[in-house]
This record gives sequence, C-alpha cells and structure tokens, in this order.
Amino acid sequence: MIDLNKLTVKKARKALDRQDFSAKELAESFFKKIKNEDPKIRAYLSLTEELAMKQAAGADKMIASGKTKLLTGIPCAIKDNLMIKGERCTAGSKFLEKYTAPYEATVIEKLRNEGAIFLGKTNMDEFAMGSSCEKSAYFPTKNPQDLDRVPGGSSGGSAAAVAADMCVFALGSDTGGSIRQPASFCGVAGLKPTYGAVSRYGLIAFASSLDQIGPLAKNSEDCRIIFDAIKGRDKMDSTTVDTFVNKDFDIKKLRIGLPKEYFGKGLDPNVEKSVREAIKFFEKSGAEIKEISLPRTDYALPCYYIIAPSEASANLARFDGIRYNEMVKPELADNVIAFYLQNRQAGFGAEVKKRIMLGTYTLSAGYYDAYYKKALKVRTLIKNDFEKAFQEADVIMGPTSPCLPFKIGEKMDNPLEMYLADVYTVSVNLAGLPGISLSCGAHQNLPIGLQIIAPQFEESTLFNVSDYFEKNYKI
Amino acid sequence: MISEKEVRDIAKLSYLKLDEAEIKKMQEDFSSILDYVNKLSEIDAAKILETANLSQEKNVFRKDEPERKSNADILKLMPHTRNGYLEVKKTLDND
Repeated sequence: MIDLNKLTVKKARKALDRQDFSAKELAESFFKKIKNEDPKIRAYLSLTEELAMKQAAGADKMIASGKTKLLTGIPCAIKDNLMIKGERCTAGSKFLEKYTAPYEATVIEKLRNEGAIFLGKTNMDEFAMGSSCEKSAYFPTKNPQDLDRVPGGSSGGSAAAVAADMCVFALGSDTGGSIRQPASFCGVAGLKPTYGAVSRYGLIAFASSLDQIGPLAKNSEDCRIIFDAIKGRDKMDSTTVDTFVNKDFDIKKLRIGLPKEYFGKGLDPNVEKSVREAIKFFEKSGAEIKEISLPRTDYALPCYYIIAPSEASANLARFDGIRYNEMVKPELADNVIAFYLQNRQAGFGAEVKKRIMLGTYTLSAGYYDAYYKKALKVRTLIKNDFEKAFQEADVIMGPTSPCLPFKIGEKMDNPLEMYLADVYTVSVNLAGLPGISLSCGAHQNLPIGLQIIAPQFEESTLFNVSDYFEKNYKI
Repeated sequence: MISEKEVRDIAKLSYLKLDEAEIKKMQEDFSSILDYVNKLSEIDAAKILETANLSQEKNVFRKDEPERKSNADILKLMPHTRNGYLEVKKTLDND
C-alpha cells in the first residue's frame, strides 16, 4: 500500500490520472494526517476543508472525463500572507485576525486554474518578519525533524507542512531568505525566484523591492512544476516580465563558483562538511569548481536591515485599525490619532514595532542620506559583485544557512544573532537573483541545505543543476 | 546608545505608542542594530548610483480604463460603516 501523503506532485499526477485513488480520497488522507500530526507541529493557522472538499469533487469529475490539468486534484498549503478569496488571511498578525480575503492573489488564481486543492493556510512570523516562526502572533511552529527546534522562517509553517507530509507542496514568500532557510531547516526543497518572475498581487507586502513568492516541495522537480504554473507577466504587478532564459545543460561544462566569504567565520563545521561533500560530488561528476569572491558579503545584512525595515514602515502604515480590523473600541479613544495609536500598540508584535521604528528612523530627514540612500548604493555594489562572479561561474553554491536548526527560544532574546541566520540568503534578494535550497544531508538528524544561485531569470539552470544533484547524489 | 527621548520621538513619527518597558527594550535593541548597520560607513560609495528598484529601467504603463466593481466585499471587512461608507472618528475638533 502506497503512502498517499508521501507522494510528489509528479507521482500524484500519474496516480490520479490512473485513478489509483480519487482526489477526494487524497484530500481526505491529508486532512486525516493533519488532524493526527499537526497538534504537535502546528504548521497550519487555519484549514480550508470545505473549500478543499468542494475542489476535490470538481477534480474527480475532471479526472473521470479525462480532462486533467497540471495540478488537478493535488493538495497544497498556502502561507498565510497570500490571499485565497473568501478565506481568512492573517499574515501571522493579530491585526488581521478577523480579516477575510476579498480578492484572490494571482498565484492562487493560477494554481486554482491548474486544479490545485487548498488544504489550509500556514503559520509564519508576523508579516514575514523573522527567521524561526517564533514571531507568529499565534503560536510557534515546530520542526518536524525535532520538535524542540524551530522550522526556520518566515515560511516555517509551509516548510514544516511539506516535511511532515501534511501537503504535497506549499507556497511561501521570501524577502531575505524566508523560503530557502526554512526549506533548509526542514529538509525540503525551496525556490526563491528572480525578482519579477512571479506576480505578488494578493501578497500582503513586507518589503516590496525584495519580496518574491515561490514553492516549497519534496524535491526540485516539483519546484519546477509549481514555478512554471505560477510564473509570468501579470498586469496587476508591473514588476513582472516574461524574459526567462533557457540554456543547454551539460554537467561537464558547468562552472560552479564557491564564494570564499560563504565558508568563513560563523559557519557551523557540520554544515560546512555536508555542503563541501555535495560540492565534491559535482566535481567528481565533471563540473569545474572555482573559488570566487563576493567581497561585499559582510555588508549585505546591514544593507538589508536598512532597506527592508524602510519599506516595511511604509507598507505597514495602512494598519490603522479603521479599515481591516479594530483592536480597541473607538469609544475608548479621545480622538482619531489616539485611536490609531491604541490599535497599533495592540495589533503589532514587538518585532514588527521594532522594524517599523527602524525604517521610520532610516527614512527620516537627517538620517535618510546616511542610512537609506547609503544602503541603496551598497545594494548596487552587491549586485555588481554577483554580475562579476557570473562572468566566471554559471552558478554559485554554498550553504543556505550558517547554522543547524536551533532550539525554540535559543535566539529569541538576541535580535542580531537571529538576523545572522539569513547571512547567505539576503544578498540574493538584494541582487534580485533566483536561489534554491536543496536538502544535502543532516547532522544528528538535523537537515542541512545547499544553496544554488543563478543569474537573473535562469531558474531553468537552477532546476537542471538541482535535478542532476537529486537524481544522482546519495545522501 | 540612542537616548530614551530619541526612542520616544521615533515612536511618535512611526505612529506607535510604547509603554515604559517597551521603550527600555527598544532602546537596547535599536542601539545594537544601529551599531551593526553602521558598518556600511566603512564603504566609500559617494560615486555609486543607487539601486532602489530591480525591475526594468523604464516605466510600465497601462491604459486608464475605468471599471465598475461592487465595494460590498470591502465594506464587509470594515468594522464601522454607515450608508455604504467607512465610518471613522471625527478628525477635526471644533472647540
């Protein structure tokens, strides 16, 4: 008897088309699994069971008539900052506890058109600000591989749901590593697409010049299927384009760059060992390995912690307690300003307040030039470093995270230490590049991720390299 | 270290109200993050152009075509409405 919950997108598609089981049976087996396992992992913030069962009935009709699409009948989980029309959408914040999405995100519309089934909405750090899922205003999610540890973040609920077989695939969003780092911590595959590859219409914005939506799945082959379903130009997000690049792939001609800055101080030796073994595999397979330099690596995180909060402080100005949800009764405030303040005090968590304050500070007169403007200039230098590196290398490889999944509570009191969990991922967002994290091993059962980075719009290169790795590398 | 007064001023600019404990914690966290981001001052970038946006360098235009949509779904989300409008506290004081 096959385990329905362990199926990949590709295998589920084949089995559904052969009618080995129905879409209804598949969805039911996931809800059963969720009801058994999720009380201890807590990957989901809400389930959309009624919607899912209705979709499954529709999928079974399509299967019976032989007219299936890419994802007909395949159950997935959606990060709770993406809007499914008519369903609750909280972005992990109390401010949106009672918010029902009035319209559909473009990625959801695309998945729906391909026949995907929505099981529920997954937990996340509030407004995607965090690297551990502990900053959710509701509850922390646990790492399915070790319940004392974090699943990473901010798309921790999506990563945990995939890893614990509580969905076939999931969507997440990545502003500084929020897909790749949890994918690494939970031992699954996660893609952050090129800036402009996927429409963000219907994503609750964090930092608009960095945010991207992408898939988390059991392997890179599934990530490719989902990426193909959600990518492309959308008139509702004017940053989107259709300029994807497809290059021929030959492992013997592949040049892999290893940034020496990604293997330095602060990298856990167990993570390094596992990543180096993976790279050795590519070398043995005939790829050329060369040491490269991304000289401004040390400046990426400081740069990010100016740009992302600046943009967040503007994006979160809309939460005033008047339009979406109110946290206090208007009668209790003397005037409208007092009402805003009381709502924002009660509605935002400490991390969100801190980032709004930071962003307001770095954008304020007197500090704008020294912080925000300076960060935009450093961003140019970081982007240039990658452009130079890609003259010598087709892809860049290194660890996704410098550390193993950490214990719940371990980094809660030290904001800087928490931020360092994103040290290898943020530059990719600053430069707008595509990056994927693949599971490449484990240390004492704790997963380790290999990050592969490609030039803009070369997702196909990432998938070609990833597929080769996953099909041939024995962990 | 950033002063308590500065924290209060930034909070005001941010439309945030913080209690005494929050102000103290913010003062510490804020200062350590500012120290960290000040690392950027090591780089001389006077002649470098800014990257504010990664999308195409030219503007993306669309036709300005009005369409009529029902606002019922949006109004339903608002805590207080009257006659199909959003209701807010009065914003001007007459006295």
